[in-house]
Amino acid sequence: MGLPEILPILVIGLYFLGTAFYVLGSALRNERIKGMALNIAGTGFALNAVDLAGQLLAGDAAAAITSARFLFSLMGFGILVIFGLLWWRLRMRFLIVVALPLSLIFYATANATSGFKASLPPMLSGLFFFMHIGTLFSSMALLAMAFGAGLAFLHLEKRIKTKAGLKKFQQDMPSLDTFDRVNHWVIVIGFPLYTVGMVSGFVWAWLAAKRVFSFDPKEILALVMLGLYAYLFHQRLAYGWRGRKPAVMAMAVFLLMVVSMLGINFLVPTTFHGFKA
Amino acid sequence: MDKNIFLVGLNHRSAGVDVREKFALTNVADFEKSLLAACPLREVMALSTCNRVEILVVADSARCQDMDAAEAVLAHWAATCQGPLDVLRQHTYRHQGMDAVTHLFCVAASLDSMIMGEPQILGQLKNSYRKAVETGTARVIINRLLHKSFSVAKRVRTETAIASSAVSISYAAVELAKKIFGELTGKTAMLVGAGEMAELAATHLLASGIEKLYICNRTYARAQELAKTMRGEAVFFEDMAERLSGVDIVITSTGSPTVIIRAKDIREVLKKRRNRAMFFIDIAVPRDIDPDVNSLDNVYLYDIDDLKEVVEENMSARKSEAVKARAIVDLETEAFGTWMKSLALQPTITDLLSRAEDVAERELAKTLKRLGPVDDETRQALEVLVRSVGRKLLHEPICFLKRRTREEGSSDRFIDVTRRIFNLDSDPVNPDAHLDRRSPEDDEPLDCECCRDEDQDREAGHGEPKQ
Repeated sequence: MGLPEILPILVIGLYFLGTAFYVLGSALRNERIKGMALNIAGTGFALNAVDLAGQLLAGDAAAAITSARFLFSLMGFGILVIFGLLWWRLRMRFLIVVALPLSLIFYATANATSGFKASLPPMLSGLFFFMHIGTLFSSMALLAMAFGAGLAFLHLEKRIKTKAGLKKFQQDMPSLDTFDRVNHWVIVIGFPLYTVGMVSGFVWAWLAAKRVFSFDPKEILALVMLGLYAYLFHQRLAYGWRGRKPAVMAMAVFLLMVVSMLGINFLVPTTFHGFKA
Repeated sequence: MDKNIFLVGLNHRSAGVDVREKFALTNVADFEKSLLAACPLREVMALSTCNRVEILVVADSARCQDMDAAEAVLAHWAATCQGPLDVLRQHTYRHQGMDAVTHLFCVAASLDSMIMGEPQILGQLKNSYRKAVETGTARVIINRLLHKSFSVAKRVRTETAIASSAVSISYAAVELAKKIFGELTGKTAMLVGAGEMAELAATHLLASGIEKLYICNRTYARAQELAKTMRGEAVFFEDMAERLSGVDIVITSTGSPTVIIRAKDIREVLKKRRNRAMFFIDIAVPRDIDPDVNSLDNVYLYDIDDLKEVVEENMSARKSEAVKARAIVDLETEAFGTWMKSLALQPTITDLLSRAEDVAERELAKTLKRLGPVDDETRQALEVLVRSVGRKLLHEPICFLKRRTREEGSSDRFIDVTRRIFNLDSDPVNPDAHLDRRSPEDDEPLDCECCRDEDQDREAGHGEPKQ
């Protein structure tokens, strides 16, 4: 068995172990176990990068980037990249408990769908790939982080509001303000990225098929998400929403994203965005 | 010679404040010196704080047989403080051996403190130890014991959550504020009304990096006075609502019979501050802040009862952590006990090695005499040879002794047997010794070829090797 064959198993194993060790380290308040978990996750991340590069270099790069396997592993990789940025800027190491399982799910899905192929034409390469897939995936990864931060915010806020007392686990959590800042950055950066991704998709559709909108279920849902995202963006920046409301809404947008990504791609017939065997 | 550790002391549980202040040691160094002069002790260290006095002494076991070391210390203590010995005896505890070690570890780890987990005691213990070292009353055992107790305290602090949560109301408020805002640097607080606890909370907030503190009081002069001592800014009571929009943390403790901050006021304030979070701490009874304020988004309100509950919960959490801490203390006491036992073995090891050295020296001298003049290199090689043969031969018995002394109760027996086998105490052995245990064949004189010198053999005509 060569490296390309065992690489996915290794990545899945490392992501899984990383998650398990981090949860264990948090429960035992042991920094060494947490550090070990991060090292394991880092190794998994590096191997994920190797896998992505391998897929691109294996043969036809244009064909590779339209395969479901590549796209899903890229999504898993992107979530960890965004986590890395948040860790670096906001010291939100805590988010690894969300980022790592999500990356694991996406990477595992990628390998379960190795037989599927997206019906995206090979034209979607270079600039459009970056404009459409890159921006959308980045904003989705950001939303994933907002989902994790939102869950943590709601949990901690409930404990503080109801005066339920903070157990060891909650004492180790970052402050409410830090979670809220994650939400702020996700909305400030994620919404423009999402918009660029959508607009580039429409432009490409117009160039390729001479029509902007094809009433594809995924496109409809994406428009709904864009509307919600825009509302959230407006409320947060113009109206000064903070705390609970934007946290809940960002979580809802993320869940819609998961539905559109997994549900529609595999279950509902769609013109452009589905994966076919 | 075996050493014994004694600890006598009193603390907030064993003695009331009147007894504690009567028997507090004002000059610890003098006490330590005078105690060493008055009693046949080897080492002394005393710790005296407002909550406890602990006197740790080390004595030779042989000397202790004739006297009660703890009683002697108590008598000297009572005499130093010019207090009645009976009262002191009644309010003190005594620990000996490993119990004393466990007690000291518990004190260092703050398991015996009035507020369990408080960090001051360790600093006080370190100070006392430093003084004892300067006075010269702390030596081998106290040195080791105190260093060990510092490391035990550190282990307890890092491996258990005994000191992780606030156990005073003002600290609990600051910790909650940190959980809401993260870092408090750059935040603004307002103190409404005056009260000891509210002022204490404000002081803690200032120490945590609060940028600005407003002080608001119905009596403006009082607000100004407080503002001066706390380096805050006095605010007229009428301007309070207006200023609230720029304030993140509000501490109220007025004597007002009705609420002074209502939910609808805060709704307006929140709009002005674009929903930035606010934390209200209401220490007043009757309450100053409408409880409905807590139901607003991004606003957190804690009254005195809520904070008390937090403190109580933290206290009970500390108690459950104390069980873990106690296990660490027990483990470390055991390790210290092993070290003490190895200390008892040390003189025997030294004697064994010097006996081997003696034999080596003697045999080397004989051999050199027989060989005649030799060059330096050969002589050095021979020296190394005989010494290393002696040491290597003793290596296994020494390891065996070290292992056995770790076992409970067997150290004395093995040390004794070893001393007798090698006759380390140079006791004259009577030829009739153990006559009752000998069989008739054993009546031949005890002669062994290993004791015989080749020179003697040669002189006796047995020098030629047998064919």
